[in-house]
Amino acid sequence: MKVGFYPKLAVDSIMKNKKMFTPFILTCVGMVMMFYIIMYIGLCSVPDSMMGAESVRSMLQLGSVVIAVFACIFLFYTNSFLMRRRKKEFGLYNILGMGKWSIARILFWETITVAAVSILAGLLFGISFSKLAELGFINIMNGEITYDLNISWVAVARTLEVFGVIFLLLLLNSIRQVRFSSAVQLLRGESTGEKPPRANWLFGILGAVVLVGAYYIAVTIKDPITALLWFFVAVLMVIAGTYLLMISGSVMFCRLLQKNKGYYYKPNHFVSVSSMAFRMKRNGAGLASICILATMVLVMISSTTCLYFGEENAVNQRYPRDINIDFRFGGIDGLSDDIAEAVRRDIDGMVADAGASAGNVISYRTAAVSGYMTDDGNVELDVRKIDDRDVDVMANVFQFLFVPLSDFNETVGDDISLGDDEALICVYRHDFDGDVLSFNGGRSFHVKKYDEKKFEHGEGYIISPCMVVVVPDLEYAVEGIADMTDSLGEGMLQYRMKYDFDTELDVDEEIALCDTINEILYSTPLDASYMEAKYGAYASIASREENRQDFYGMFGTLFYIGIILSIVFTLAAVLIIYYKQLSEGYEDQARFGIMQKVGMTKRDIKKSINSQLLTVFFLPLLFAAMHLAFAFPIIHKLLLLFGLDKVTLFAATTGVSLLVFAVFYTIVYKLTAGAYYKIVSGTKEEF
Amino acid sequence: MSILEVKGVRKVYTTRFGGNKVEALRDVSFSVEAGEYVAIMGESGSGKTTLLNILAALDKPSGGTVILDGRDLSKIRESAISAFRRDNLGFVFQEFNLLDTFTLEDNIYLPLVLSGTGHREMKERLAPIAAKLGISELLKKYPYEVSCGQKQRAAVARAMITSPKLILADEPTGALDSKSTDELLSMFSEVNALGQTILMVTHSVKAASSANRVLFIKDGEVFHQIYRGDDTNDGLYQKISDTLTLLATGGKTA
Ligand SMILES: Nc1ncnc2c1ncn2[C@@H]1O[C@H](COP(=O)(O)OP(=O)(O)OP(=O)(O)O)[C@@H](O)[C@H]1O
Ligand SMILES: [Mg+2]
Repeated sequence: MKVGFYPKLAVDSIMKNKKMFTPFILTCVGMVMMFYIIMYIGLCSVPDSMMGAESVRSMLQLGSVVIAVFACIFLFYTNSFLMRRRKKEFGLYNILGMGKWSIARILFWETITVAAVSILAGLLFGISFSKLAELGFINIMNGEITYDLNISWVAVARTLEVFGVIFLLLLLNSIRQVRFSSAVQLLRGESTGEKPPRANWLFGILGAVVLVGAYYIAVTIKDPITALLWFFVAVLMVIAGTYLLMISGSVMFCRLLQKNKGYYYKPNHFVSVSSMAFRMKRNGAGLASICILATMVLVMISSTTCLYFGEENAVNQRYPRDINIDFRFGGIDGLSDDIAEAVRRDIDGMVADAGASAGNVISYRTAAVSGYMTDDGNVELDVRKIDDRDVDVMANVFQFLFVPLSDFNETVGDDISLGDDEALICVYRHDFDGDVLSFNGGRSFHVKKYDEKKFEHGEGYIISPCMVVVVPDLEYAVEGIADMTDSLGEGMLQYRMKYDFDTELDVDEEIALCDTINEILYSTPLDASYMEAKYGAYASIASREENRQDFYGMFGTLFYIGIILSIVFTLAAVLIIYYKQLSEGYEDQARFGIMQKVGMTKRDIKKSINSQLLTVFFLPLLFAAMHLAFAFPIIHKLLLLFGLDKVTLFAATTGVSLLVFAVFYTIVYKLTAGAYYKIVSGTKEEF
Repeated sequence: MSILEVKGVRKVYTTRFGGNKVEALRDVSFSVEAGEYVAIMGESGSGKTTLLNILAALDKPSGGTVILDGRDLSKIRESAISAFRRDNLGFVFQEFNLLDTFTLEDNIYLPLVLSGTGHREMKERLAPIAAKLGISELLKKYPYEVSCGQKQRAAVARAMITSPKLILADEPTGALDSKSTDELLSMFSEVNALGQTILMVTHSVKAASSANRVLFIKDGEVFHQIYRGDDTNDGLYQKISDTLTLLATGGKTA
C-alpha cells in the first residue's frame, strides 16, 4: 500500500463533503481567531501604566478560559452533526471490506487536515485582526493609540496547545463512535427515528422544578453579596433546567400533537409534526442550546453596556465632588464642633495655597455602625447574636449612619427641629415602616421619615441597606452603643467626617492639588501623620478624575469582554441554527421528494416548513426573554456591587439588547429557512 | 372505454452540458382500457421509467399527448398537477418510497391527508385494504421495523387508498424475494379482478405473465404486444420468453 493512501483518502472525503465541512472549519477558524485575539490583548495590549493593569489582565485571562471551554463544547456539538452525516459513508467502507482500524486512520488524517487548516487560518486571521481588536480595546479604555503590528508568540503557543488538545479529543470521540457501532447501524444512521426517553415526564418535572428554583433565587435575593454567591448556582440551574425542560417538553409536545388526530392529520401539520417527533430529543437539545446562548448574550450585553454607559454615574455617586476627603476619628470627641471647624479651615487653607477655593461643599459628620434589624424596628448590633443560618441574613443587615441635625439641615438646606428622643430617618435599598427604632443596648427613637433622595451624597457605594439616623445630639444618641466592642475588642462605632468639594481648576491642576494635599497630610515623618498629630484623625483623599480612569479601566474591560464573548456566542448560535437547518434539510430532502411523488405541491411544502419553523424557532427566543426577565433583579443586585444603581438604564439596555437580538435572530431565521427550503424542495445542486 | 391514451409520445434528454442528446422515447402509442392489467417490458435503458414518469405527469414529453380519463395531461396547470396526480393515480415504486418518519399507517394516509380527508374516513378506508393486504397488525410500526415484502404491501395500500383510476407500478417486485413476489403479484391480480386498472413496468417474465397484456418497448417504440387471451400464467410465460428471445436476437415479428 502506498504511503500517501490514507491522507489522500482523507482529503478526498473532505472535498466530497464540502457542504458539511466548510461550516465546521469556519467555526474552528473563528474560535481559534477569537482565542488568539483575547490572549494577545491580555498579554500585550494592557499598558503597565494603566491603573489596575493586573486585574484587567486577569479578567482577560478569565475571558480566554471561557472561550477555550466554550470552543471545546461547541466543536463537539458541531462535530456530532458531521459524524451523523458521515456514518453512512463509513458503514459503506466497512461493508466493502475496510476495517475499523483503517477508518480510524482516515479519521486521523481528516482531523489532522482540518486542524492544520483551521489553526493556521485562525492564527492568520487572529494576527491580522488583533490590531483592530486592540484599537477597539484601547478606545474603550480611553487609552493612547499606537500603530505597530505585533505577534505574540506566547499567545500563538497557547493557541496551539489549547486547540491541539481539543482536536485530539474530537478525534478520540469520532473513533469511539465508529468503533462501537456495527456496519448496519452505521449504514442506517439517519433513518432510524428516536425513541422517546423513559420516564420522560419525570425529567420534565425535574426541569421545571429546577428552573422555578433558579427563578425563585433570582427574584427573592435582596442583598448583592448573597446574589454574587448564588448567581452562578442560579446560572447552572437555569442551564440544566432549560435542557431538561426543552428535551422532555419537545418529546411530550410531539406526542400530544400526534395523539390529537384532528390536528395531526391536516396537510400542513402532518409532515412537520412527524419529522419533529422523528428527532424530538435532538430537536429539544438544539433549541435549548440556542436558548442558553441567546440568554448568555443578552445578559452579557445588557449588563456590560449598562456598566459602560453607567460608569459616569457610578463615578459621580462614589465621588460626588472633584476632591473628596474622608476623616476617621478615634472617638466621639473628634466629632466636636470645634475640631470639625478646625479641620475644615485647615483644608481650606491648603486649597487656598494652591490658588484655588473650595466650592459646592458637602460636609457632615457621622457615627456609623452595622446591625441586624428585625421588622419591628429592633436592632441587634452584636453579630454573634445573629442567627446566620438564614440565607438572606445579609439582606437585613443595615449600615446605620448617625448624623447630627445641624450638619443635616445644612446639607439638605432645610430647617428641621427634633425632640431629644426623636430621629429623622432616610432609608436606602430597603423598606422600613415602623414608628420606633430601638438599638439593643442603646437608645430608642421615635422616627419620622425623610425623603432619602434629598440626602444621597456618598451613599451610592454602600451595597447593603443603609439608614441615615438624624439626631439632635450625637453624643447623647449613641450612648450605650459607644461602649460596645466587637470580638476583637475594638469599638463598634466609627466616627467619620467627610469634606467633599469642587474647585474651578482644570483636570491636571486638580490632580496636582490632590497630590499636594496628600503630601501635607502625610508629610510629618515620625509615626503620626499631620491630621493624626493635630486632631487624632486619619484622612484619605480621592480625586474624581483619577478614579474615573480606574473605573474606565475596569468597566471598559468588562464591556470589551462582554462584546467579544457576545460575538462568539452569537456566531455559535447562528451556526447551530445553520447546522440544524442544513442537516435536517438533507435528511428531509428524500422525504419531501417522495411526498412530491405522492402528490404534495410546492405550496404544501412551503406551508409545512413554515409551520415547523415557526413553532420551533421562536421558542428559544421566547424562553431567553423569560430567563432574562427573571434574571433582571439578580443582575441588578450584582451591578450594585459595581456601585451602579440605575434601574432605568439597565432596563433600557436590556430592552434594546433584546430588540436588537430579536431582529438579528429573525434575519438569520429567514436566511436559513430559505436555505432549508431550497434543499428540500429538490433543486439538487451538485457539489 | 379507454382510460389511458398515449399518442406518439417522444422524449429527448439533453445532457447537462448541452451537446449530447439522448432520445429515450421516439414514438410511443398505445391505450389502456378500464379494468385492464398491463405489463410493460423492455431492456434496461429502453425508456420504461421515462414513459412511466411521463404518464405520472412527473415529467413532460418532448412531443405527443397523454390523455388520462379524457383529460390531456399537458393541459393541466402546473399548480393543479399535484392534486390531479393525488386524486387519479396511485404509485408503487421499486424502492417503496416509504417515509421513515411515519408509521406504516401514517404512510398510507399521506395522500389522503394531503387532499384534506378527515381522520375517521381515512380509518374506514384503510381497514378493508389493510386486511386484504395482511398488514393490519403492522400498521403502528415504522418502515425500518418491517421486512421488504411488508413495506411493499404498505406501499400498495398507499397506492390503493385513494381509489385511483390507474395504479402505476415501476418494478414493484425488483427488491423482493420470490415468495414476496408471488404474494404481491397475486394481490395485483386480485385487485385487478375487482376492477382496478394497473400498469406495471417490469423486467421479470414471471411478473409480466400475471398481466392480461404485455407491451414490449424497443428503440423508443412499442415493438410488440401479447394478449393473454385464454392462456394460463404458464402459457403466457412461455410466449413472453419467446418474444424476449426474439427481441434479443434482433428478429422481427410478423
Ligand atoms: N435525466 C436524464 N437525463 C439524460 N438521460 C436520461 C435521463 N434519464 C434517463 N436517461 C436516458 O434515457 C434512457 C432511458 O432511461 P430509462 O430510465 O427510462 O430506462 P429504463 O427502461 O427504465 O431502464 P431500467 O430497466 O434499467 O430501469 C437511458 O438511455 C438513459 O440513459
Ligand atoms: Mg427504470
